[in-house]
Amino acid sequence: MLLKIIKVSFFYISLLISTTHAFAQDDPTETAKQVVEKFQAELIAVMKNGKQLNYAGRYEKLHDPVSNSHDLTKIARIIIGKEWEKLSEAQQQKLVDVIIRLSVSSYAHNFKDYTGESFVFDSEEETTRGGVVVHSHLNIPDSKPVKFDYMLKEKGNSWRIINIIANGVSDLALKRSEYTSVLQHEGFDALISKINEKIDNYSKL
Amino acid sequence: MLKRLNKRDYRDFSSKVFGVIPSLLLTSVILLSGCATTQADEKNITLNKDDPYENFNRKMFTFNDNVDGYFAKPISDGYKWATPQLVQTGVSNFFNNLKNVNVVINDALQAKFSQSAKDTGRLAINTTLGLAGLFDVAKHVGLEQNEEDFDQTLAVWGVPKGSFLVLPFIGPSTMRGLPGAAFDTAANPATYVGFPIMAVSALNTRANAEGSLQFINEASLDPYVFTRESFLQWRNNLATDGKSEASYDVDELDVDISDSPKNSANKADSTTDAHKETISSTPISK
Repeated sequence: MLLKIIKVSFFYISLLISTTHAFAQDDPTETAKQVVEKFQAELIAVMKNGKQLNYAGRYEKLHDPVSNSHDLTKIARIIIGKEWEKLSEAQQQKLVDVIIRLSVSSYAHNFKDYTGESFVFDSEEETTRGGVVVHSHLNIPDSKPVKFDYMLKEKGNSWRIINIIANGVSDLALKRSEYTSVLQHEGFDALISKINEKIDNYSKL
Repeated sequence: MLKRLNKRDYRDFSSKVFGVIPSLLLTSVILLSGCATTQADEKNITLNKDDPYENFNRKMFTFNDNVDGYFAKPISDGYKWATPQLVQTGVSNFFNNLKNVNVVINDALQAKFSQSAKDTGRLAINTTLGLAGLFDVAKHVGLEQNEEDFDQTLAVWGVPKGSFLVLPFIGPSTMRGLPGAAFDTAANPATYVGFPIMAVSALNTRANAEGSLQFINEASLDPYVFTRESFLQWRNNLATDGKSEASYDVDELDVDISDSPKNSANKADSTTDAHKETISSTPISK
């Protein structure tokens, strides 16, 4: 009997722990599609106010939406592949930091104003390894729509974007080729300073 | 206008830069797999399965860049500055329309008969109602511009793309792109109307690429690698009509980095193969 009580209370305790754990995650009910759509909505909102906000304002407004919807640590790891393990922890952190800043600044630079664009969800599919691909496209007035495919993976309890494929060109694959090439030919410090140079340019253009 | 171009080109840069030429594919997984054995590191750094002529290609790339910087860009900038947007669009539409002769032929060669019919309709409407192609009327009745060429036809027929090549004055291509470009040139009416028209055509191509080239300059750490990768991905995407799943390669990569080095070397190879057949989507109208 006592054993039964212990068992039952353990069950409830563990249930309690798991629910609090679930609530502790940021919005565990958010699906991959919702993560993408939320991010796209935030992007469009910034574009609409793009001119008033100017670069610094857009950067600030986009920083959290980008960091919260993307798994930038994973992105950094995939981009440099095997080289990741050769880096010290400090270097890894440094790389993740510049990649966050680069992502936000390229969004802030490239999505600077609004001329009637809108994102439309097309479909969603699961990949063989537990990822989800959200297919969508961006309608641009007087122009052919641009396909945007988002690859998401689960991080803890939430979905995070790890790759964006615009009209078939994978951002991750592109960066991976470039970064590994720079890393192998010129080394880690050169890579970081080149990325910083890009961030700097974005803020000035 | 420039601002607008910029923004748009973030999303469609690839389709404009490489306006004329052909082909597909990806790489650097090889660089990754090379790292499985430390000894091979030095050797494998420059090895890229798709780009065995990297040394030559990089020189050509630099040469083209210089030619562009000294000649093509100034002329193109002058053209963009001096010509009203309406005229530029008209010129662009005109050459696009001529290109559709080739599009229709290649639709048929790839057995895309319904698309071929639509593209024929597009050509007919724009040549007549669109006043010899100056106006893109067809777009407004739902006939979008399709992007087909002989290199894509060869891909559909199963011809492998071969090595990546940078051609003097022309730019990125592949082995398969050479016959592709020859066929496309022959099937383009603009080829037969004499030098001035061809010069305007080249000018138009360069002017249309401005935003994209600027995008590459802004975004790339290594413009050569950036151009090569985006070109090969873009061509692959066109050849497969965006039907395959580009995204899966990331899945593979993801596993690569979490797995033991030995396994990942093999997987990296298969990733490359998988990627060859992948990548998706539609080109952008000029």
